[in-house]
Amino acid sequence: MSTVDTSSGKRSALAPLGKPLAAAGGVLGIVAALLPWVTFTLNDGNWPDKSTLQFFDAPFSVTGFRWHVLLLGVLILVAAFAPVPSKGRVVRALGWGLTLVSFVNAAYITVKGGGLGAITALDGATAFGGVVGLVAGVLAILAGYGIGIGPVGDWKFKVSTPVAYLVLLVSFGAVLYAVAAMLTTGGVGSANPYAGAIFLSFLGFAAGILAALSGVGFVRWISALSEQHRVFSVVVLAACALLLPFTDAGNEYWMTVAANIGIYAATAIGLNIVVGLAGLLDLGYVAFMGIGALVAANFSGAATAYFGFDLPFPVAAVIAAIVAGIFGAIVGSPTLRVRGDYLAIVTLAFGEIFTRSAQNDIGGFTNGSNAIPGIPALSLFGTEFNRSISIGSVKLPAGVLYYILIVLLVAATMAVFANLKFSRIGRAWIAIREDEDAARAMGIRTGKMKILAFLIGAMLAGLAGAVFAHKNGTVSYESFKFLESVTLLAAVILGGMGSIPGAVLGAALLFVLPEKLRDFEDYRLMIFGLALILIMRFRPVGLIPDAHRRAEMVERADENAEEAHLEAKKA
Amino acid sequence: MSVLLQQLANGVVQGALIALIALGYTMVYGIIQLINFAHGEVFMVASYGGLATFTLLPEDLQKSPAVALPLMFVGGIVVAVVVAVIMERFAYRPLRNAPRLAPLITALGVSVFLQEAVRVFYPNAKSNLPYPKVFPEGNLTLGPVNVSWTGVLLVGLSIGLAVILQTYINKSRMGRAMRATAQDPDTAKLMGVNPNRVIVLTFVFGAVLAGVAGIMYGGYLNNINIDMGFQTGIFAFTAAVLGGVGSIRGAVIGAFIIGLIKTVAGQYMPGGTQYDYVWIFVVLILVLVFRPQGLFGEPERVRA
Amino acid sequence: MRKHSVKSAAIVGASLLVLAACGSNKTEGGGNTGGSCDTSKGTLTVGVVAPLSGNLSALGLGIKQSAELAVDEANKKCTVPGYKLTVSAQDDEANPAKGAQAATKLSTDPNVVGVVGTLNSSVAQTVQPILRDKKIPQVSPANTNPSLTRGNDFLTAPKRQFDNYFRVCTTDDLQGPYAANYLVEKAGKKNIAIITDGKTYGEGLAAELSKQVAKKGGKIVGSEKVGEKDTDFSGVISKIKALNPDAVYYGGEYPVAGPLSKQMASAGLNVPLMGGDGIFDPKFVELGGKEGDLATSVGAPTESLATAKAFVEAYKAKFGKEDYAAYGAFSYDAANAIIGGLAKTVEGGAWDDSKRDAMLTNVGAYSGSGATGEVKFDQYGDSTNKVLTVYSVTSGKWKDVQTGEFTG
Repeated sequence: MSTVDTSSGKRSALAPLGKPLAAAGGVLGIVAALLPWVTFTLNDGNWPDKSTLQFFDAPFSVTGFRWHVLLLGVLILVAAFAPVPSKGRVVRALGWGLTLVSFVNAAYITVKGGGLGAITALDGATAFGGVVGLVAGVLAILAGYGIGIGPVGDWKFKVSTPVAYLVLLVSFGAVLYAVAAMLTTGGVGSANPYAGAIFLSFLGFAAGILAALSGVGFVRWISALSEQHRVFSVVVLAACALLLPFTDAGNEYWMTVAANIGIYAATAIGLNIVVGLAGLLDLGYVAFMGIGALVAANFSGAATAYFGFDLPFPVAAVIAAIVAGIFGAIVGSPTLRVRGDYLAIVTLAFGEIFTRSAQNDIGGFTNGSNAIPGIPALSLFGTEFNRSISIGSVKLPAGVLYYILIVLLVAATMAVFANLKFSRIGRAWIAIREDEDAARAMGIRTGKMKILAFLIGAMLAGLAGAVFAHKNGTVSYESFKFLESVTLLAAVILGGMGSIPGAVLGAALLFVLPEKLRDFEDYRLMIFGLALILIMRFRPVGLIPDAHRRAEMVERADENAEEAHLEAKKA
Repeated sequence: MSVLLQQLANGVVQGALIALIALGYTMVYGIIQLINFAHGEVFMVASYGGLATFTLLPEDLQKSPAVALPLMFVGGIVVAVVVAVIMERFAYRPLRNAPRLAPLITALGVSVFLQEAVRVFYPNAKSNLPYPKVFPEGNLTLGPVNVSWTGVLLVGLSIGLAVILQTYINKSRMGRAMRATAQDPDTAKLMGVNPNRVIVLTFVFGAVLAGVAGIMYGGYLNNINIDMGFQTGIFAFTAAVLGGVGSIRGAVIGAFIIGLIKTVAGQYMPGGTQYDYVWIFVVLILVLVFRPQGLFGEPERVRA
Repeated sequence: MRKHSVKSAAIVGASLLVLAACGSNKTEGGGNTGGSCDTSKGTLTVGVVAPLSGNLSALGLGIKQSAELAVDEANKKCTVPGYKLTVSAQDDEANPAKGAQAATKLSTDPNVVGVVGTLNSSVAQTVQPILRDKKIPQVSPANTNPSLTRGNDFLTAPKRQFDNYFRVCTTDDLQGPYAANYLVEKAGKKNIAIITDGKTYGEGLAAELSKQVAKKGGKIVGSEKVGEKDTDFSGVISKIKALNPDAVYYGGEYPVAGPLSKQMASAGLNVPLMGGDGIFDPKFVELGGKEGDLATSVGAPTESLATAKAFVEAYKAKFGKEDYAAYGAFSYDAANAIIGGLAKTVEGGAWDDSKRDAMLTNVGAYSGSGATGEVKFDQYGDSTNKVLTVYSVTSGKWKDVQTGEFTG
């Protein structure tokens, strides 16, 4: 496409080779999919997807990762020779996907097979699928640079409302499908010994496809569309979330995980008000969730609760939210004087004070290190929320009611957030975030606004905490430590500060990733740390940046480019 | 009275350790406004580096502290510096123009990664490891007060290195470049300062101090674990803020204040040692409310 | 076709071909490690829930590997005819919510017959109900909080809490008072100072100990707490020292207790430090535990127990090191209780979901002699093995000084 400007040194050397390289990469990718990947049956059982099958035995029935490789190969060819916007980016992204899939599978087979013999040639059998796939991927990446990394595609054309609805519906449906597929890759139980590898491979594939879609401009177009039709999008998203129990992922395990994600997502949305909108860094936020959980636990009628009676859940939840909100306002009050990272340390201090006090059973409310166990599950019309239910002939897994409750909770907090964001208050917060002094000069009562941000954020967290107490049945100070605050903050920033779906996506990622990495046991936290570094390296503005914020970033990036240009001239 | 004196001495030793690490926080923050949460892990890694150096020494050298100890310092510092430089180059530098909070998450990622990497790859690091006894045993006794010689050495090193650092930053050419970059990176650049060099150097200084702290920690407490960086790191960060980030003197004094509050509040405040952390943070909040820029910090400038 | 592909592949991977000679760990008939046993009916899984990452992973790993050892031995001995057993270990990060997820993951697998775990009592609180709903027996190697089995009023009105929950370790209300009796009556230490790490295990032990010390005419001169991640204890030690205790009781585990003992000595507080089974580990001495320090642990001394020695040797043979940590032997016994119960349940038949009730009964009725002594459960699910031993550090090693049962 655009072959002018940008100053990439690599491009000039590779420029004439762009399309030939892409062609080679694509073809080799297809070849790799049809080659065998492993020379023998591993000790733990067959490598998935019939990888020991000999050459081109069944070209039309490849499955799993081989199908992914095949698809990536074909897409590279299509992207290289069809008129695609921002061709270089797309080819490069697909190349990365191909490389990752090949690398994960080849590396795994090598390690499990005990040597390179497993992925090359051994005892007369050959299996070069992994090697060819890797080469194909690298070629495609180089091809991407050769073609040139232009700006992300920008789709200007407008569509009528019905078409937009249809597009959104299909896109969100695809997202639902992708989520369900990702959750269930590698199976649920401990049956598949290669579940970890299958998941990582799928992740590589998904990342490649997503990056390509984003490079081609589709993601930007869709998010613009959904911004235009906000109400419709939220409804469809909520519907998709409610449909998840009916997919393959609808089992008790994922319902439990998804419910936990939802609780943290709701909390993260609250934090997003404080950090994302008002720009106040909070490092002790989980304490508000803890306060909410403790209040709900003490009103739940559990044996060790402070109050010997149980209140109906909605009442207890409201009290929890109010108490958490009061503490939020108290913690927020130093904002009147303290600014920036100094405020962050005040919030960190508050978080530490909370854990220490809870551990020492302050005022008899927390039961100290013994925690408050035996909090009864919620129930509605006599059905306990942690039982499985059936609708007609469809039997839904246990925990699905909690899941539904939490989806509704998340939807509600999202609605609160969205309304606030586009209200007068929200604009005031954003103004404070951008420049507090200017905001004050414009007549915004900054102190009041900042405390309000803390208050509302803490209330949402308290509400989520109340659900948390009943969902888990135990409230222990151990659930609300500094690391949890950090995870919540990471969820907000990973997802994209200030963006509405960002916090949900971030929370989902931070909780699903460790769950799917269970098969790596010892290494899983390490991989998690590495993943945080990498995501920030490649998407520093978060996965779904706020449209408003994105504009600022682009502006700044342009300035930087200009600066670099000037410097280059100088030299 | 004698208990009070002893607790004061304990607090000073604890503060000295925190100070060495707080200096790293405060310098990095002063230059690039990054709360480098991974700095505590640099300190931890240095401790393991020193231990590894000792383990690799031939047995007869292990027995002579005069040889083993300097080598351990060298080993620990080298490991710390290498880790810090790699961290700066590959994790933080690409994010120099990213939104302000992105590097914070990277720092947390680096922190988790380093901790887990040591736990998984260092032999037997899953539980505490005993540290070799290369430091002189015995106590310094002054009346009722009893402090181990290692503790005395720690205090001396901490104050000494802080003074050297302060002098270097105030007097040397490079120190001037650092101060210039901290005040206004763009103008400093126009004056011919290479910001990348300044930033790397800042990380290196921080790592050297953390390296010294890591070895001293092992020698003073005789065992190390992968968690040590996190806890000490939080206190060090708190100390840096208490003293006013960017200020060398502030970080050191902040660290000593934290050490003293911990021991003295544990002794005399209601709730005793159960609430000693709480008092640290209460004091911190009070200080920040009445002096928002910390004890020795300059009032926050509005940055261009 | 074949030739062509080999050619294309060879061009690409020419250099790798040289490396291809590196070989592999290919074995014939891989996948059937059941040896000579009949495993025609399939595979059943023993779950493990323990912290496998983070700072408690040393303890968690000991639990996991010891369970693996038990399962391995069962496979070799064909303990469960017709089935091959495997271990599925899930990380709970010592976090109750994560523990719930781990337990749910195991509980949805129809092949999971029982769960060994957890390490932390607070995690057990969330795991218990999840496994109960699926009638999966849970045998804990390390939960010492008495309320887990007998409810909140465990002394006055004990009531079984979960019919699927058992434990092979002893509870705080035995271990604490037993230690108190030893300290006050046998060792003549009347003034005792308490330090805890503030966690369930340590707090529980210390609370039960204090009650008994008072009953026996001793005095608790002070009660202090160290932070979970603290390492410099000089403040706490100076405070305790001013109270002139005869002994210090530490409620917590060896990673803190060892350094604490050492720092006590170097601060001039030369009194013995005593703790529970959490500090009864060779590492305690390595990390600074001094001569004369005391610990209680469940069961008769290892030296006098053939089964215990066999466990240690088998563990060393399988994993190369003695890193089964404080709860390895308990975990081995817990896994064996599940395997024993399972063997009885599937005797002559096949495993299916309808056997789960029988499984619970059989685990409850299990009786055997394990690495920690007799393994048997009472009507609450607690271990009937109430034998406790006091050990003392003597010339760098734990040595038993008194064995008996707590009688009040």
